[in-house]
Amino acid sequence: METLTALLTGFSVALKPINLLWGFIGVTMGTFVGVLPGVGPALTVAMLLPLTIKLDPTGALIMFAGIYYGAMFGGSTTTILLNAPGESASIATALEGSRMAKAGRAGPALATSAIGSFVAGTIATVLLTLVAPLIVEAALAFGPAEYFALMVFAFTTVSAVLGASTVRGLAALFIGLFLGLVGIDSQTGQARFTFGVPELLDGIDVVVLAVGLFAVGETLYVAAYTSRMSDKLEALKGSIWMSIEDWKRSVPPWLRATFIGFPFGSIPAGGAEIPTFLSYALEKKLSRHAEEFGKGAIEGVAGPEAANNAAATGALVPLLSLGIPTSATAAILLSAFQNYGLQPGPLLFQTQPELVWGLIASMYIGNVILLILNLPLIGIWVKVLAIPRELLYGGILVFATLGAYSLHQSWVDLLTLYVFGLLGFAMRRWDIPVAPAIIGLILGPLAETQFRRALAISEGDPSVFFTHPISATLLALAAAAVIGPWLWRRLKRG
Amino acid sequence: MRRSAAEIALSAGVLVLGIGVVIGTALLPSEGGYARIGPNFVPGVVGVGLIVVGVWLLYEVFTGGWRDREDDSPEARGEHAFDVGAFVWVTTGLFAHMILIGTAGFVIAGAVLLMCVACGFGSRRWLRDLVIGFVLALGAFLFFVKFLNVNLPGGWLTPLLGVAGT
Repeated sequence: METLTALLTGFSVALKPINLLWGFIGVTMGTFVGVLPGVGPALTVAMLLPLTIKLDPTGALIMFAGIYYGAMFGGSTTTILLNAPGESASIATALEGSRMAKAGRAGPALATSAIGSFVAGTIATVLLTLVAPLIVEAALAFGPAEYFALMVFAFTTVSAVLGASTVRGLAALFIGLFLGLVGIDSQTGQARFTFGVPELLDGIDVVVLAVGLFAVGETLYVAAYTSRMSDKLEALKGSIWMSIEDWKRSVPPWLRATFIGFPFGSIPAGGAEIPTFLSYALEKKLSRHAEEFGKGAIEGVAGPEAANNAAATGALVPLLSLGIPTSATAAILLSAFQNYGLQPGPLLFQTQPELVWGLIASMYIGNVILLILNLPLIGIWVKVLAIPRELLYGGILVFATLGAYSLHQSWVDLLTLYVFGLLGFAMRRWDIPVAPAIIGLILGPLAETQFRRALAISEGDPSVFFTHPISATLLALAAAAVIGPWLWRRLKRG
Repeated sequence: MRRSAAEIALSAGVLVLGIGVVIGTALLPSEGGYARIGPNFVPGVVGVGLIVVGVWLLYEVFTGGWRDREDDSPEARGEHAFDVGAFVWVTTGLFAHMILIGTAGFVIAGAVLLMCVACGFGSRRWLRDLVIGFVLALGAFLFFVKFLNVNLPGGWLTPLLGVAGT
């Protein structure tokens, strides 16, 4: 009941004309940028962050919810029509989606993706509305030791469990943690690793890192390694509407995938990659048209797309209720909060209920805007895909540099951006995951603060982390996540 | 074994960064108040972590290469050979932009950036690319400065754009 009242208050905030307008702009911009090939949701959110510099926090965050959903949908369009998944969570969609497009069924593929995203996004938002207050309640009992353990757990799952190689994930994580150290130590005022550069005293902004790794890194990579290849854009022929048969084959996958995607997104072992593949495998198994899989089965688009969206919404649960990001996109959203001096977590629900619930309410609205805006406008989004690549990447860099430069009005940030671009180029080419670096940068300083707070309370006695049951359990799980895969391989080998 | 050169360099880079962090940590003060640990404790942990990961990566390189990577040949990865020219053009664009943005302003710097990148992607229509870059950057400039109140440098075009340059 309490939740319902809070949510209604949220709607009264989100439905204000000005906030609706920000939501609308957010969805449109998010879709537009998200459609651009090579631009995944994380980069979209990072590039559009400067849009919100001068807005009030509520409006800005509502716009961001719109950008987040728009970016997800835009990404699916590109995945289906270009067979170019912008992020790992779209690979499963690409399997069937691009084949449907080749067979002249791009319309229904995009429709099932859009409507499925709406259905999954809405159900997942309902789940978030119900679950988040419960977690908030539980988290009020958390002390610094528990938070620290939870963050360590998130570090290890993001870097060691996801991705092909534990050690490369850890390399990215530690690079991110190092970058997080740069700047003034929040507890003593001591400058660390700033090399006397004043721009570095504030620390490294997550926007510069994300945009450098994704936008500059990707541009360098594409220019150097694939610019002489040609893309094959599938034309959008025939009806974009789904037949009754398509509906019948789409609805069950949407629903099943929602309940696969949401839990995966919300536990700090997040990432949308695993649930999309689980959903793909499940639909292949359950489908009465199993023979169509690999040739363009609509279930293979409906399921993974819904799972992806549900996981993206699920990722907002730990972000809002605990302040812990479990994906690169969520990490950038966290920095959007921090720009306003807000720290998501249980306290934010108490101190800023209008903002938090306004944001949650706007997610319901964002889903609706997305649906009514995107299906009719799909023709325009397809035209965006036809932008020649030589202009596309130049344009991306114009906006990428804008974001970095607007931080301090200084060329030093642009140099930093280029250095991260080189790093991103190397990581892209030699298969080092990027998300752990971004999460390390944003979560590292928070983890250090909690670590030192816990020790200050215990007067330097490190046993607090192992005597508190929740903390001890989480640290044990974290250790298992790193050592587990290695031990498993050893045992298998005998 | 042709992929090992880059893998050695990257692994060694992580190791060297770790050593650098440990050295940098040694220069930080250690007094810690109630917590008994100071601002140098976590940097030390991160430095040691980087060293361990660097050694681990090197170990993998010399025992058959990094694990679980696709074949490094261009064909398997859907790539062509490294295109130095393209890489240099993109880099040139970014550095030209860095130099120009403070003097010539956001719009001109953006136009030059887009032209250089387009050139890296094989375009030879300099003037068209420059004009497109100019129009795009001008649109972005007006949207951000007039509509969103974000501060961007007008540079040489400040008198024409009718806004205060920074």
